[in-house]
Amino acid sequence: MGGQLRMSRSIRQSTRFPIGEIVGVIAVGLSGLLFAQLDMPLLQSLMAQALILSFLAFGIGYLIRMTGWVSFGHAGPFGLGAYGVALAFSGPGPAPEVMLLLIIPGVTLLYFLVGLVVSRLEGIGFAMLTLALGQGLFVAATKFRAVTGGSDGIAVSLPRRLFGLTTDLLQQPHGMLVFALSFLLIVYVFLRLFERSHLGRLTVAIRENEERARFLGYRTRALRAAVYGISCGIASIGGVLFGLYQGFVSPDVLTWGMSGSGLIMAILGGSSFLWGPIVGAIVFFFTREWLTENTDHWLAILGIALIVIMVLWPKGLSGGVERLLARLRTGSGPVPVELRRKAA
Amino acid sequence: MTALLQCRNISKSYGGVHALQGVDLKIEPGRVHGLIGPNGAGKSTFIDVVSGRTRGSGTVILGDVDISSLPPDKRRRLGLSRSFQRTSIFPAMTVRSQLELAATWVDDDNTADLVDMFSLHAVLDEHAEEISYGQQRLVDLALALVGMPRVLLLDEPAAGLSAGDSHSLTDHLLEIARRWNVAVLLVEHDMDVIFKVCNVLTVLETGRLLIEGPPDAVRSDPKVIQAYFGSTA
Repeated sequence: MGGQLRMSRSIRQSTRFPIGEIVGVIAVGLSGLLFAQLDMPLLQSLMAQALILSFLAFGIGYLIRMTGWVSFGHAGPFGLGAYGVALAFSGPGPAPEVMLLLIIPGVTLLYFLVGLVVSRLEGIGFAMLTLALGQGLFVAATKFRAVTGGSDGIAVSLPRRLFGLTTDLLQQPHGMLVFALSFLLIVYVFLRLFERSHLGRLTVAIRENEERARFLGYRTRALRAAVYGISCGIASIGGVLFGLYQGFVSPDVLTWGMSGSGLIMAILGGSSFLWGPIVGAIVFFFTREWLTENTDHWLAILGIALIVIMVLWPKGLSGGVERLLARLRTGSGPVPVELRRKAA
Repeated sequence: MTALLQCRNISKSYGGVHALQGVDLKIEPGRVHGLIGPNGAGKSTFIDVVSGRTRGSGTVILGDVDISSLPPDKRRRLGLSRSFQRTSIFPAMTVRSQLELAATWVDDDNTADLVDMFSLHAVLDEHAEEISYGQQRLVDLALALVGMPRVLLLDEPAAGLSAGDSHSLTDHLLEIARRWNVAVLLVEHDMDVIFKVCNVLTVLETGRLLIEGPPDAVRSDPKVIQAYFGSTA
C-alpha cells in the first residue's frame, strides 16, 4: 500500500504465559484421577454423567462467548454423536475405531456447512433456525425406524475392545469419569489456544463489530461458521461419550428440552470464563439430582433457585467469581464502565 | 496529477427514491477532497457505494483496477479504507489488541506511527469502551489507517468532537494526506474543518453533482448558496 515516508514500527507485545491456568488444568486432572480411585461408585457415576452433559453446555457456552449467538438446537449434534456411536458398531463397514474417529470431525464439518447458512441470521432468527434444525433431527430419528429404532431407540453393541483397550471400562463410572474429564481438559486447552490465536481474537472482533472487521480486510462468514461447527463438535463429543456409557440411544437425546437444559447450564455457568458452562453443568446436574431425590416439587425449587442466582449474578456463576476476584484485587469490586466514563 | 480513485456514473436508488444519480468523482493522492451538501444529498450513500458497503451502479477504479464488483474486504486489501459516521471500533477489545488485529495481514505494520500520531500511548491497554469519545474517534481513524491505505473515505469524522478535538483532527488529516500521500475523501458538516483541509470540493444536491472546484470558488458560487440557504441573497 501507498505511503512514502513510512517507518514501519509495531506495537506488538509478546503474550503472557498463562502459568496459573496451566497449573489449574493439571490440578483438576490430578483431582479427577484421585477421585476415580476412591470406592464411591454412585458419586462417580453422577459425576461421569455430569461431565458428559457438560460437553453440551460447553458447546453452547462457547458459541455464546465467541459469537454472542444463542443456540436452541445443540441437542442435534449431541444426539448425532450418540446415534453415531450406535450406528458405528451396528453393521458392516470400516473398523469400529475408524467409524468412532470419524463421528466428531463429521459432525463438526456438517455443522460448519450448516453454519454457512444459519450465520446469515442474528438474534432470535438464528435461535429459531437452530431450534427448527434440532426438531427436524428429532423427527427424523423418530420416523426412520429402520435406522434409528424410532422412539424405541437403539442399543449400542460395543465391541469387546477399542483401540486395544477393553470397553468394559467405558461403561464403568470411574472409567468414564477419567475419559470424560480427559477429553474435557483436552478440549479446554484447545479452545484456550484458539482464543489466544489470531483467529480467536478475530472471532471476538467479529462478535464485537462484524462490519468493521470486514472493512479491515477480513472475510467473516466462514470464521463464524467455523466457530459454530466447533461448538457443535464439542457437543457431539458429549454425545459420543453418552452413547458409549449408556449403551443405549433414543430420540430423547434430540429433544428441544435437551437443548434447553444445555442452554440453562451454559447461562448458569456464564461465559466470563471459558470454564463457566462446565461448572454450570455440574452444579445444575447435582442440584437437580439432589432435589429429585428429596422432593416432588423439585422443578419449582430448581426454577426459583435459578432465578435467584441469575438476579444476583446476571453473568452466571463465572461472572460472580469474576466480581469476587475483582473485589479482592481492588477492595471494592469492579466499577461499571458507565460510571468510569462519567468519572472521566 | 493522475487520479488514484475514479468513480464514474455512480447511482443508487432505494425503491423510487434516487439517492445518487450518475455522480462522477476523481480523487488524487496527497490531497483532501471534500464532499459536501445539505442533508439527504447522498454524501454518505456515495461513500457506502464506493466502499462496497451498499450495492449501487457505476464504475469504481482504484489505480488501474476496477473494484466495482469486489466485496469490502477485497477493496480494503487493495488499499481503499473508510471510517463510519458512528464510531466503529471493537468496544470490548483493548486499543492495542484491535490495532494489532488490523495490522495482521498488512505488509508494513505502521501501528506505532499511528499511536504516536494520535497520542494513544496512554490508552493502548485500555478497553476501547472505557476511553473518551474523542479517543474512540481517533482509534477509529487509526484502524482505517493501519497498513496506510492509498485511499481513505471519511464519513463525518468530526461529528460529536469538541472544538479542541476537531482542531486536532484537521491537523491529522493534513498530515495523513501530505506526509503519507493518501487520497482522502472527506464528508463533513463542519465547514471550518472543510475549508481548512480540503484542496477541492464537490457539492451534491438531491443525489446529483452540483459543482466541483477549489473551496473559495465553491463557497461563493450562487448555486451552492441557493442549495444551502434557499436564496442567493
